Amino acid sequence: MTMQHSAVHETGQGADQRSGQIAVSVTDLRLKFPGEKAFVFKDVSLSVPAGEKVLLLGPSGCGKSTLLQVLGGLIPAVIDVPLKYADIRKPRSGGYVFQDPDTQFCMPYVDEELAFVLENRQVAREDMVPRMQEALGRVGLDLEELHTPIERLSLGMKQRLALASVLLLEPEVLLLDEPSALLDPEGRQQIWEAVRGVSAGRTVLIVEHRIEEIVNWVDRIVLFAPDGSILADGKPAEIFTAYRRVLQENGIWYPGVWEDYIRHRDTWNSGLLQSPQQGADLAAPVLSLRGFVGLRGDAPAIMVEEAEVYAGDFVAVVGPNGAGKSSLLLSLMQLLPTAGSYVLEGRPLQGRGRKRTCPSDRIGFVFQNPEFQFVAQTVLEETAFSLHMQGGMSRAEVERKAEDCLKTFHLHGLENRHPYQLSTGQKRRLSVATAAVRRQAVLLLDEPTFGQDARNAFAILEYCEALRRSGTAIIMVTHEREIAELAATQVWEIQGGSLTAIKPGRRRLEGDGAASDAQEEVSG
Amino acid sequence: MNRFLTPSRHTWLHRANPSLKLAVLIMLFIVTIQTRSIDFAVYQAAVYIALLFLLSGYPAWKVALLVLSFSLVFVSSSLTMILFGKGDHVWWQWGLFRVSEESFYRGLHLGFRAIAFAAEGLLFVMTTPSVKLFYSLMQNFRLPPKFAYSFMASIRLLSIVWEEFLIRRQALRIRGVRTGRGPRGLLEHVRLYAVPLLSQSIRRAHRVAVAMEAKQFSGSGRRTYYYPSAFSWYDGLAVLMFVIALAAAYYAAAALPWFGIEDVRYHGQG
Repeated sequence: MTMQHSAVHETGQGADQRSGQIAVSVTDLRLKFPGEKAFVFKDVSLSVPAGEKVLLLGPSGCGKSTLLQVLGGLIPAVIDVPLKYADIRKPRSGGYVFQDPDTQFCMPYVDEELAFVLENRQVAREDMVPRMQEALGRVGLDLEELHTPIERLSLGMKQRLALASVLLLEPEVLLLDEPSALLDPEGRQQIWEAVRGVSAGRTVLIVEHRIEEIVNWVDRIVLFAPDGSILADGKPAEIFTAYRRVLQENGIWYPGVWEDYIRHRDTWNSGLLQSPQQGADLAAPVLSLRGFVGLRGDAPAIMVEEAEVYAGDFVAVVGPNGAGKSSLLLSLMQLLPTAGSYVLEGRPLQGRGRKRTCPSDRIGFVFQNPEFQFVAQTVLEETAFSLHMQGGMSRAEVERKAEDCLKTFHLHGLENRHPYQLSTGQKRRLSVATAAVRRQAVLLLDEPTFGQDARNAFAILEYCEALRRSGTAIIMVTHEREIAELAATQVWEIQGGSLTAIKPGRRRLEGDGAASDAQEEVSG
Repeated sequence: MNRFLTPSRHTWLHRANPSLKLAVLIMLFIVTIQTRSIDFAVYQAAVYIALLFLLSGYPAWKVALLVLSFSLVFVSSSLTMILFGKGDHVWWQWGLFRVSEESFYRGLHLGFRAIAFAAEGLLFVMTTPSVKLFYSLMQNFRLPPKFAYSFMASIRLLSIVWEEFLIRRQALRIRGVRTGRGPRGLLEHVRLYAVPLLSQSIRRAHRVAVAMEAKQFSGSGRRTYYYPSAFSWYDGLAVLMFVIALAAAYYAAAALPWFGIEDVRYHGQG
């Protein structure tokens, strides 16, 4: 507490001395959301000199985004939240880029969206098109035609469009609220490249969890504690050496987080894997595809010439956005009509196209957005629901199994909550729990670590590994290069709507040898 | 879906002022509502369908597809009246069903009017992009930008909601959710879809609103317009054409009547 106070005082005084060049600052900020007990901020002070690039870092829910909204003036002008401060200096003009690419635009076409900003600023019609072209050029968005539907852009392009529209505001300060959180690695690189390109002479405030691309570029890092107080404030190199422990505990994706994680977890260190069941017949794959095609309309969305998955396999499905990774999972679930040979646990799926039925009794599925798969009113019912569907169990047995499963996924104590009231990480864990509780032979996951902090991502990975050891075959779509390298027994590369390569993972599955330590059970 | 709904060519009716077009078509609606003569209703339907083929800018097969779907509109709006309407000259009776001469013609009249409505509506929708309509309403009819942009933003969000509906359907199939029959099952069904879709939509709408205001949108006050909306001679042409179309239908009904019933309303016998 004393340390935090002194840090606060220092920045406070600094603000007074250099007030001529201060771009944004707030002194003794107190803020509380109506109806909640705890303060988001209690006497927090921060001041940023003009031209500085500052990264606000902290665990999810510590209030970084809220602070960004206060500093840019969105709170309380647009979002009404009661707050108090001794002094505040807001920029004359600020421009926000938010996290979700689909909720930043109000118009259907690129030119119309950019025009919306220019109209707000009362720019004459004749000047609009040249300004749009200039802004798009500066963020590296080359479109053949200005009048392009926004829905046709990739997520990464949408975020650059958001940045371009912000540039039209000619902001002194750029406020970036997790602009790369939902992007694939390529998109992340492009948006940060664009940010670097346009930020000369501007103050930039960034809130972000994935920071590999920018740590060497920002001038200063402000580290927040879970209670919203400022833990540390300094140059990136200092923060990363002195506060590594805090970063780990709070699940922040600092550079080198994967290396640190692997070093401290024996789970992943053995190169070769043993098969989960002793003497299991590895000659019989649990899932095999031959000439398999998933169709969207009449067009093939995904083609697989030949692929096999065995019990205890961990398949990482990788490839660029829109290549057909999700289509592959949907096809395996028969949510897209399919053709070709598809053998599941030795039994081929009969028929063709829509006549094939959804094999949900043998395959579990985890959606990208957990909320869409919740069906019950409480966490316990949610888990029990899957077991009821299976049938053949007494009510007490179902309840016991469901509770065991919740314990395994660290959700006990939350049994009576509504699934929607859980935190992001808990929702994700629950979605995996409900998909895995029936112990099906195969578990499909669509980017389960997406948008999660490092701690949650590692936890998900370990649940999957435990399931794998108990004999479940895991098929996971992922953008994380490290997951493919660390955990996979097979890496499937998807490109342009087909499975182009199957590479053995680092931990290739071994058929022989004792597997005594690999008998860990996941639940019931 | 969107590609299907984009016209393949722009006719001069696309260039007419959207607000004016809307006003004229509302007047045509009123005329159609007030139509008592069954022949006039038939000819109005015919004339507007002809205009659809000529001026919508869509290939004839697409227009034909839409017009074919009018038969559903026709059946659904006329059948109830034909089977249950009042009348004195009963042709056929079976249980609750009672088809009389009067109810039969009144049913046909309703059906043709419904087709005329549908054609008028389509004529407007197919020749007017929603963005252009709102730009025109803002500039020509002083619609506050607050409403105009809210509408335009929500149209964009609709397609996202539709995608989420499809995802939810898939998720429910995977979880193996089956709802019972009857009103209870229906209620359960509504809850299963409404809760996740609404919660997503509300959050999204809030975020869009914040993003819009962050871009210095004030909802009122002065602004410039990317799409100018003025009046041109196309507007005169559009008004003229619709007047001629209506007149043609009226005179055709008088000159070449099919049914010859001036007023289909039921007055009863004393």
